Amino acid sequence: MKGEKKNKTRILILAIFLAIIFILPFYIVLTNSFKTQKGIFLNVTDLPFGQFFTLDNYIEAFKELDFVHSFLNSLLITVFSTVLIVIFSSMAAWMLVRTKSKLSSFLYFLFAAAILIPFQSVMLPLINLMGKIGFLNRSGLIFMYVGFGASLSIMLYHGFIKSIPVELEEAATIDGCNKFQVFWYIIFPMLKPITVTVSILNAMWIWNDFLLPQLVINRPESHTIPLKMFYFFGQHSKQWHLALAGLVIGMIPIIIFYILAQKHIIKGVTKGSIK
Amino acid sequence: MSKVVLKDVEKVYPNGFKAVHGINLEVEDGEFMVLVGPSGCAKSTTLRMIAGLEEISGGTISIGDKAVNDIPPKDREIAMVFQNYALYPHMTVYENMGFSLKMKKTPKNITDEKVREAAKILDIEDLLDRKPKELSGGQRQRVAVGRAIVRAPKVFLFDEPLSNLDAKLRVHMRVQLSQLHQRLKSTMIYVTHDQVEAMTMGDRICVMNLGKIMQVDTPLNVYQYPANKFVAGFIGSPPMNFMEGEVIEINNDIKIKIKEVKLKLPLDKSRNLKNYVGKKIWFGIRPEDINIGNSNEENSIKGKIEVIEFMGNEAFIYSKIGNDQFISRTDFLGAKDLKNGSECFFSINMDKCHIFDYDSGKNISLWLKN
Repeated sequence: MKGEKKNKTRILILAIFLAIIFILPFYIVLTNSFKTQKGIFLNVTDLPFGQFFTLDNYIEAFKELDFVHSFLNSLLITVFSTVLIVIFSSMAAWMLVRTKSKLSSFLYFLFAAAILIPFQSVMLPLINLMGKIGFLNRSGLIFMYVGFGASLSIMLYHGFIKSIPVELEEAATIDGCNKFQVFWYIIFPMLKPITVTVSILNAMWIWNDFLLPQLVINRPESHTIPLKMFYFFGQHSKQWHLALAGLVIGMIPIIIFYILAQKHIIKGVTKGSIK
Repeated sequence: MSKVVLKDVEKVYPNGFKAVHGINLEVEDGEFMVLVGPSGCAKSTTLRMIAGLEEISGGTISIGDKAVNDIPPKDREIAMVFQNYALYPHMTVYENMGFSLKMKKTPKNITDEKVREAAKILDIEDLLDRKPKELSGGQRQRVAVGRAIVRAPKVFLFDEPLSNLDAKLRVHMRVQLSQLHQRLKSTMIYVTHDQVEAMTMGDRICVMNLGKIMQVDTPLNVYQYPANKFVAGFIGSPPMNFMEGEVIEINNDIKIKIKEVKLKLPLDKSRNLKNYVGKKIWFGIRPEDINIGNSNEENSIKGKIEVIEFMGNEAFIYSKIGNDQFISRTDFLGAKDLKNGSECFFSINMDKCHIFDYDSGKNISLWLKN
């Protein structure tokens, strides 16, 4: 009993330590976003009190970022990409699971292998190709996100769909569903927990991505929040106070999405369908 | 008219494995047909072919007067209850039961009426708003049956629907399904590996093995007049005893020689056996047709008792004759004085014995049935 208590205390201390490590960047971003530039350079770990406290950073960052526009750009790209990734990956994974052939195994391993290819290695030829076909715009970016996001998403869906008994699909077929209806009415609703996971993973990555939009989107009016944020980092000066305020503004929507979505990750959605 | 006819139906898988070997079966309108057999005998495959979930490689399947080989499952006017229920987990019981009608774009008021009617038949009216995960095994089973009823199909197909239930509930559901058949008077095809279900529920039983039909007959006929050694061994619990023997003729009497014992066959059984004199056969006798006897009785065999299982009202006696084990069934009083390890004589009721061809396993003592 004594040993167990000691162990618990050790685990608790370790957990607190890890929590501090994870929370620290958020603390620094949040506290410094309310400080003047001088306040940040004087002491980066202090709380924003007294003469160094300001809300002007947010007003200025909001204007500089052209927040409404850049937010809508980020939202449009993230929503469309995530929705398309979810639809195509779940459909592809379903067919890969249910089609027992060498080709489907080969395709699955091809998708799995794609995860291992670093983006930087395909970046330049991809941009070159997309430029040639006139796809260096928001639609092209969404198309590329679907391609890059599909492999991990298909793997996640694949594992989940394997646990769904095929009898449910057969029952639906007898009940009058065609292939598409089987997917839409029976399979897709059952994928809810993994769809939420796939959506969170992809939305967070796409929302925060800087490199691919930087390479693809040339027109300033199409820039996303991370691209706009780059304006705060000039060649000779870095406006940390505005950048940190911008970061906070940019983080809020995706954090809200995460909080709303994560409660839908429920285990055992198939419970009750079979014995 | 919802007669189901299978004519020369075959199933060959892409790897060349032949699962079903040209079977022929007629299920009459309103009949309760049970497909029974050991695991891997293709009974479920046969059912799935009738449902249209499995393509057939050869032959014809007809439902009513219509060949359904190329008709998709939804248009075959069948409903199927799966072994694992296959209820849609994200839908309520009501939605599960009404789903097929929703797919048919049936008006909501008619769907509602049919769902509630089926729920009333199965006594699940109070469960309609629940999700499958909130139901017990028996309730899920009833919902699965309810989903089938709502479709008002020509043919009900059941794929081992009771095998996931505990013994007590299984008996209860067995009775419920039989009552349902009496009430609906629909054609029902029921797959099971449980011979008790087959014997108690079916109007007729189709015994299958290795993708072939071994016998189709009423439960009583299958039990009393098994067509071959497989059926004789499969139907009945404890199973029929088999012993190797030889047909001999002594003074115009046909006898069966087992070890050194000669058992005299009654006239009706010996008629077919004239041609078998001098040949090896399988001798089969059901446990209830072996009684504790004594040495001077005709047709008795000496054996050594190994184990006695008391079942309450009766007892199973496991004995050995040479190296052959056999089981006899007697009432409790007949077995209470017997001891494990003791030797005694067992009297064989030769009127009830069966003789099977040694190679083909065919029952050669059924002159009445031939």
